[in-house]
Amino acid sequence: MTATLLLLRKDLRVLLRSPLLLGALVAYPIVIALLVGLVAGYASAKPRVAFVDEDHIPPIVVVGGHRFHFQTVINDVADQVTLVRLSPAEADRELASGKVVATITVPPGFLGDLETTVVSPKVILKTGTGGLAPRVTEQMQSLVYQLNQKLQGGYIAANLAFVQLLLHGGKGHFLGRNFDVLGLDRTEAELAKLPPSKRVATIEHFVEQAKTGLAQTGDALRATANPITLEQAKSHGRTWILSAQVQSYGIAVTVTFLALLLAAGATAAERDEGTIGRLRRGLLSLGELVSSKVALAAVVGLVLGAAIALVFGIVVEAAGITGGEPWGRLPLLLAGVLLVGAVVGAAGALLGALAREARSASLLAVLIVLPVVFLGLVPRGALPFAYWLSLFLPFAHAVRLFGAALYDTSPWHTVGVEAAWLVGIGAVSWALARAGARTLSS
Amino acid sequence: MRALRVARRYGDVEALAPTDVELAAGETVALVGPNGAGKSTLLSILAGAIEPTEGTVESRAKVGWVPQRPAHYSRLSARENLELFARLEGVHEPRRAATVMLERFALPATAQASGELSVGNRQRLNVALALLGEPRVLLLDEPTAALDPGQRRRVWEVADALRAGGGAVCFATQNLEEIEHSTRVIVLQDGEVSSLTVDEVFG
Repeated sequence: MTATLLLLRKDLRVLLRSPLLLGALVAYPIVIALLVGLVAGYASAKPRVAFVDEDHIPPIVVVGGHRFHFQTVINDVADQVTLVRLSPAEADRELASGKVVATITVPPGFLGDLETTVVSPKVILKTGTGGLAPRVTEQMQSLVYQLNQKLQGGYIAANLAFVQLLLHGGKGHFLGRNFDVLGLDRTEAELAKLPPSKRVATIEHFVEQAKTGLAQTGDALRATANPITLEQAKSHGRTWILSAQVQSYGIAVTVTFLALLLAAGATAAERDEGTIGRLRRGLLSLGELVSSKVALAAVVGLVLGAAIALVFGIVVEAAGITGGEPWGRLPLLLAGVLLVGAVVGAAGALLGALAREARSASLLAVLIVLPVVFLGLVPRGALPFAYWLSLFLPFAHAVRLFGAALYDTSPWHTVGVEAAWLVGIGAVSWALARAGARTLSS
Repeated sequence: MRALRVARRYGDVEALAPTDVELAAGETVALVGPNGAGKSTLLSILAGAIEPTEGTVESRAKVGWVPQRPAHYSRLSARENLELFARLEGVHEPRRAATVMLERFALPATAQASGELSVGNRQRLNVALALLGEPRVLLLDEPTAALDPGQRRRVWEVADALRAGGGAVCFATQNLEEIEHSTRVIVLQDGEVSSLTVDEVFG
């Protein structure tokens, strides 16, 4: 067995005999998985929105001859929020206290405007100042868009009823007046009873053209009402759900945090125990010493990453989220976790060598890991300097690698690029840690 | 073993002034001097545990080193420590070598963590670890400081046996009585190195 493996085995044995640390290592992935579950649940939870009806809309509304069960229609289209009927005063109070994230008010005269179509009826949206406000605004815009679509359907159907009346004849009703329409079919029949002549032939030709033209009216009305429609194609690829993104962050945070702490602590502990002097006497090179700490971080990171993926996979299966299961991607994910653990471990060994004392090393690792994680969360456009800095730290690459490994349909390009970054960062960290380890025995 | 003009500095602090030392087969050298004279630093350099900032060390023999502070993994048992370092030393049968050392130094063969052993047992483990791999040169840094008279005697028996077998021993001590175990004395003081016989010291 090589010196590196001997020291790795020793470190794992020491780890298993540290009850507090072991307890933290067991609890950590469970806590992270629970937090991931809670965050995922919160992310997919429907925000409460107050619905204020100042126009006292009746249960059944007739628009363009179509009957709408108003509350059912609202509930159908408002599937991203929970609408709660409140009085204006209650709505204002709950918006102020944050119990609802927005209020949507149907003002007096709304139904009249809707039925006459003389002016566009309006609904009024008020949002709070919380982080959910932009999301709720988008959802309300979507709600109004979908309501318009439903109403357009009613208007088109009503217009088409008149077209059918023109085509086939019958009794009609418009703006309170009843009337009887001959219709093109019956006109054609009446014309056939007349003696043939050039004038009759001309009228018959017109009737035929009008019938053909009106037969196309339905499609034309629908096309002009919705010049562009969005059709969602069903695919059998993997599901990129928000909770999956959170899972990537969860694994990356866990591995980064623990690998850095473990490697830093284990490296500095060689000095605390006084064993670095023994090892330096030709038993172990500095490179082997750093490699053993890198291997320790990689192995522990692998176990913890696998535990989180396992718990998350079980949750995904239990929730029946098709395409979100990590099982098929576990080998790729775990290879990524191993790489990230090793890279962060090299950085941890560097910290341990510089701190030279286990407690200081652990404190230094905690102080450093938080900014590293936050830098990795900064979007490119938000703070360009922070984004560029994060490129030279492992966390952001770890998140992208895990995300691609878990949920990209074709992950290889992203995985390759991020793995190359990580290998580069790891190599530099390893070389610096090796140089820094020279000071441990002095 | 020969050290030529070895010195060690930590920034502006001189831990060991340039020093020449030679250890020949069959001798036991006592290293004496006041605190801070550089005795431990010199032994660490001779052992290869730290690098000198100047000078060189030449050795044609396998070296065993007993540092002043016991150096072993406190969460591993005495046996596990001995086996681990035996493997790192490349000892042919590490398990057997560990058993031999446990018996030789009367160390507990239980799973008790070595950090929980008595001070005397930890120091004996410290010495036992130095003897793995059968060194021909043994460097001891105040090896009997925490030991009772019986344990001290056992350490000197080991050192005497090594010297009698053609090896060399060099030990640092603050206890002048222990100089009796040496054949030569090196005094480190104020950056000066002087070599004396035992008779010269007591004369």
